[in-house]
Amino acid sequence: MSSADQPYIDPSEIALEGLAAERFKNRSDAFWSGMRDAAGAPAMVLFAGMVGFGAMGRTNGIDGWFITLSSILMFALPGQVVLMEMAVTGSSVLAIALAVTLTSTRFVTMTVTLFPQLHEKDRNRNLYASVHLLAMTAWAVSMKEFSSIEVKHRLSYFVGLGLLCWLISVPGTILGYFLAGLVSASVTLGLVFINPLFFLLTFTEVKPWINRIAICLGCFLAPIFTILDRDTSLLTTGVIAGTIAYYIDRKWLRKRAGFIG
Amino acid sequence: MMNASLQGWGLWFALAGACLGTYVCRAIGVLLSGRINQDSEIFRWLAAITYAMVATLTVRLILFPVGLMESVPPWIRILICVLSIGVMVSKPTKRLVPALLTGTLLLVGYGIIR
Repeated sequence: MSSADQPYIDPSEIALEGLAAERFKNRSDAFWSGMRDAAGAPAMVLFAGMVGFGAMGRTNGIDGWFITLSSILMFALPGQVVLMEMAVTGSSVLAIALAVTLTSTRFVTMTVTLFPQLHEKDRNRNLYASVHLLAMTAWAVSMKEFSSIEVKHRLSYFVGLGLLCWLISVPGTILGYFLAGLVSASVTLGLVFINPLFFLLTFTEVKPWINRIAICLGCFLAPIFTILDRDTSLLTTGVIAGTIAYYIDRKWLRKRAGFIG
Repeated sequence: MMNASLQGWGLWFALAGACLGTYVCRAIGVLLSGRINQDSEIFRWLAAITYAMVATLTVRLILFPVGLMESVPPWIRILICVLSIGVMVSKPTKRLVPALLTGTLLLVGYGIIR
């Protein structure tokens, strides 16, 4: 792969100078700095989302172990909410696994854009463990910060960042689960509403037209398909609305069609 | 409503399937990193499907909720969403946290008044 093929994901080839090159003294410094950077507003929003998820699980009568394990082992909030929503409404195991996997395909894109920026030495089998810490928050912060971090310190920074995000998710979920049982119904309402509201608000920040069309079509088709057949509506609406948006983009919005690979 | 939900082993199989599917996507990313263009057609298509699915999920959670949220009239839920989006887009700078707080506190307020 030459940098000419993918100029936008190979900043590791750009020579760093002065301050940027010596931002961290060593790997441990980079790791703890990542942890500190994680303790800001993005992680607070993630924490609130996990609290909301825990509260949602409690009010739906889902087992506490089930929702906590999903935060530890999945660590992907949209997928977790899909899992819970479909489990509560009684969808089949196959439909749930398929729907959750489809929402997780964004991790492929995220990994493909982030990991080539790591040092060649760090790009080994251990990444199959580190990749579990990759979620939207850590990805967005890393994409922004990597360009000003020396290549050999990037993995440590990412692990520090991702690890804290992952570690706060678990107590967040448990807290939400227990809070929903303790506080009044009105506060629980607020907690349960955090995630749908969060997803809705992030839609206003989506820039590519293909994804905007997909969101609008999804919102429009969702009530129709939900009334027709609730069990499969998430899958059918997603695939139909996404495919229509893709074709609109390909036929009219783009000047020339690309190709796979 | 609860008798429609998945029970017993089905629930845990669903969790196992969901965890496996999510990890496999992450692992495929590691496998392909550096070998595939993020702008390829399949990624554009999958991203569109993901956004459509999350949009569907959001609409379902707001308009067709199960459990506690069912007790709030739909027009209240929609009104609060509209007001929150209003706060979000009121300034070009990021307003996610104030918008999120607006919606959450308004609903808590509704719950108290009710």
